[in-house]
Amino acid sequence: MPHTRALQARILRAAILLLFGVIVVNLLVMQVVKHDEYESQSLENRQLRQRILAPRGRILDRDGRLLADNVYIADITVPNRCLGQAGPDSTLDKLLTWLRLPRYETLDRLAGEQAAGRPRLTLVANAAMPQIAVIEERGRELPGVKVVTRSRRRYLDGPLFGHVIGYVGETLPGEIGAEDDPDGYKPGDWIGRDGIEAVHEERLRGQAGYTLQEVNAVGRVVGRRDVELRPVRSGQDVVLTLSQALQDTLGAAMGENRGCAVALALPSGEVLAAVSAPSYDPNVFTARISTKDWQALQSDPGHPFLNRLTQATYPPGSPYKIVTSLTALQNGVANPATAFAPCGGSYQLGNRSFRCWKREGHGGVDHTSALIHSCDVFYYQLGLRLNLDQLAVTARLLGLGASTGSPFRGEAAGNVPDTAWYDRKFGSQGWSRGVMLNNAIGQGELLVTPLQMAVLTGRVATGLADLSPVFVRDPAPTSSPGQRALPFGAAHLDWVRRTMRQVVDMGTGTRARVRSIEVAGKTGTAENPHGEDHAWFVCFAPAILPEVAVVVILENGGHGGAVAAPVAGRWLNAYFAQKESPEVVAP
Amino acid sequence: MKLAWPRNPGEGGWVIPAAYAGLCLFSLATLWSVTEGIHGPYEIMDPGVPKSIFWRQVVWVVIGWSVLLTVRNLPLPWIEQGTPVFYLLCVLLLAIVLVAAPVVQGARRWFDLGPMRLQPSEPAKIAVILILARLLAAFHAQEKRLVPVLLSLLLTGLPLLLVMREPDLGTSLVFAAIWIVAVFWYGLSWVLLLSLASPLLSAVFSFYAETVAGSPWPWGLYLLVLLAALTRARFRLLENLGLMAANIVTGLVTSFFWEGLHTYQQERILTFFDPARDQFGSGYQAIQSKVAIGSGGLFGTSYLQGTQKGLAFLPERHTDFIFSVVGEELGFIGAMLLVGLYLVIILRGLQIALEARRPFSSLLAVGVVTYFTFHVAVNICITTGLMPVTGLPLPVMSYGGSNMLTSAIMLGLLTNVGSRSFET
Repeated sequence: MPHTRALQARILRAAILLLFGVIVVNLLVMQVVKHDEYESQSLENRQLRQRILAPRGRILDRDGRLLADNVYIADITVPNRCLGQAGPDSTLDKLLTWLRLPRYETLDRLAGEQAAGRPRLTLVANAAMPQIAVIEERGRELPGVKVVTRSRRRYLDGPLFGHVIGYVGETLPGEIGAEDDPDGYKPGDWIGRDGIEAVHEERLRGQAGYTLQEVNAVGRVVGRRDVELRPVRSGQDVVLTLSQALQDTLGAAMGENRGCAVALALPSGEVLAAVSAPSYDPNVFTARISTKDWQALQSDPGHPFLNRLTQATYPPGSPYKIVTSLTALQNGVANPATAFAPCGGSYQLGNRSFRCWKREGHGGVDHTSALIHSCDVFYYQLGLRLNLDQLAVTARLLGLGASTGSPFRGEAAGNVPDTAWYDRKFGSQGWSRGVMLNNAIGQGELLVTPLQMAVLTGRVATGLADLSPVFVRDPAPTSSPGQRALPFGAAHLDWVRRTMRQVVDMGTGTRARVRSIEVAGKTGTAENPHGEDHAWFVCFAPAILPEVAVVVILENGGHGGAVAAPVAGRWLNAYFAQKESPEVVAP
Repeated sequence: MKLAWPRNPGEGGWVIPAAYAGLCLFSLATLWSVTEGIHGPYEIMDPGVPKSIFWRQVVWVVIGWSVLLTVRNLPLPWIEQGTPVFYLLCVLLLAIVLVAAPVVQGARRWFDLGPMRLQPSEPAKIAVILILARLLAAFHAQEKRLVPVLLSLLLTGLPLLLVMREPDLGTSLVFAAIWIVAVFWYGLSWVLLLSLASPLLSAVFSFYAETVAGSPWPWGLYLLVLLAALTRARFRLLENLGLMAANIVTGLVTSFFWEGLHTYQQERILTFFDPARDQFGSGYQAIQSKVAIGSGGLFGTSYLQGTQKGLAFLPERHTDFIFSVVGEELGFIGAMLLVGLYLVIILRGLQIALEARRPFSSLLAVGVVTYFTFHVAVNICITTGLMPVTGLPLPVMSYGGSNMLTSAIMLGLLTNVGSRSFET
């Protein structure tokens, strides 16, 4: 039936041509009509916009010693979806075998990370070279597996500079910038959380760079036709005024005590050393701290996260007698030779008895020996001859009652109560002149931070009204520190300094004596309603032309002269020894 | 010998060998490109497909030519007589492969014979073409055609089901296509054929609309075409209405059934059809292939310069997706040249089938034409995203001995028939 067969052939030919017609038209649409769309997809496929994180600036001490830097470590990461496909012969399975990872532990850990919503899972953190080599060699068989280098912040002295330098932490969801903001923070970036790291975040952080790189299907950079969109700008180094050696010495001098010690250079106000104890090791934050460790630190009864330098307030105790004396001299209420009723161990005001720290009493003392021996009874009587507001003016001039302008977050202002304050607190009829007795010896409602006391000491030692603590060397100094003098009579200040020298020579502060250097200081024992008294010692040295001011407070330490003065003494010894022969630094 | 399109029987013996030669060169050129690394400033990127693939293909081209020429000159009666043995051998191998072959990506498809793999479904395609030609030719003069058609269905169904069990849906569909065209060529009314097959087709179109197209229009279009065909072919109202109703019902049932499944169940079914679909996430291969072809444009990125190929975004670029490489580097023009070469073989094959005097020869030629048409059309539809991804090589072009040998034997049979079209 040739006729039928010809018809069949025509039908078949028509069907074939129709089929190929569809194919050709479809190709025409794809390759000619929609060509641009596919071409941009092809570009998108192979061009990877790469963000190059700026290396964070380092932190150095005043002598150029490294305190914080970055170390680069490599992580082996896998895409999130790998976990769902953990069957035999899967990518994850190969990795577990080749990298010799404990199977169930690793899978459990990855499941935890996945639950935390991370886009990529870290299979091996801080991978070793042989492990990285496996990934590099067999990359083709491991689609999506990447070796990601990241920098980790390293704090070389650990807890020693904990509170000063602070630490960095991973960005929190609220801190992450908009997707298209080139300068915004991205998930996984570090951000300064405390101390200098937080204060100088902008300077340390630098500016991320961007490139377009050509990559192949497994994400490997081909290395041709890379385009630099924006160069990376490294973070700037921050140079502290602190000295690693002096900080070390101060830390050692503090021993196991809980408290705070700070040393200022005079007359610049540069902080040479500042220790808040107990401290914490900032390195624990950069290595992804576990919840357990975090809770342990949080619940530590010593409050290691409290920066006692600026965040803790204490009654100033006896060192405040400097303020009382200065106020009396300045207002003509007393002179160095003034004497009141002798000290019998307590003072009676109305029906209340106010004790002197020395139970058996100091006997007859004049103003000078009252300061040397810290006679409370003398100062009760002096206080009754002053008014609260006069005292507050002097205290504020010396830097109390307000932030010292330190760069740290959450600095406490302390409290210098005046008449208005008591009126507000207790009502104008609610308090009596009895508060003057407490204020005159630095007790009662007075509160100061250790750094404020350092400023007070520095201002008394130099007579400079604007002396403030400085923690960081300004890379481009704009204004020189003010040379404005304190509005106190030169003779009055001079008497205070001379008397402070005698405190160390023969009074309550003899344990701060340093061989061949004259030290001027004042001890204190601040009453603590919650437990043992706090021990204060404030001092400067040399007594003539002072170079350093040192303030020590030991919580629940007892008598300042007995425990705080030796800490200052040990540090001053080392400081002056190091000045003579810079090689030897020992407390 | 005239170098013009052959008009008369006995002319044009050169056409198919010439097209085959063109395809061989095309394959080698493309494989050379696939095995070339991109030059970066520091290193040459590993192309992912070793150069040895190219050299192996050179060997296969040589073998392919010898096979083609050998088969071309075998006496056809020998082939006809050897057919049952060959067919039984192939079915046996297909049965053994289901038990003895290694499981690769969830399927058992081939034996590992050291230097090469034997995929029994490849010779089985030849065997089915031959056995159908032999069977239907034997019942050539018969008026009652139901018995031979049912027998042919049995002989095709056996290897088809075995291949489906591997599972390899794409290949099993080749058998179905070969059978349909063979019985059509045998003389079964295409209207009858279509009527019987139409509810099944309706289900396939409905499934396609649900899963690949994502919109019901392919199914609707199918129903319209069916309606038009039925009204034109024969006008019997009741029969036509019944047939349309059967089509609509099967289509809707398929759709409802699919919709009623959970996502993971749907995924399981799709993975059954295509075990590789999960490997890099669903649709990755199809997307990369479309991007490659589309970005080629009219003239292509030029030879060796394709980035979808060179940077390894394109999967299986030396085998199932080799057409995408041509589309990317040589553009629409290159793709048309390639499609043209296949069309030459297919249309010339159809002419040979038409001119063949002996029913066996004619059926044999039509089988080869079906094989080429199906493989080429489906492969291109897969690479352009018109069909879901199932492993199906592009004849001659895709790297591999099985593919080359099958194509060479098929073309050898075709030219054999063509050179004897005057014989009775």
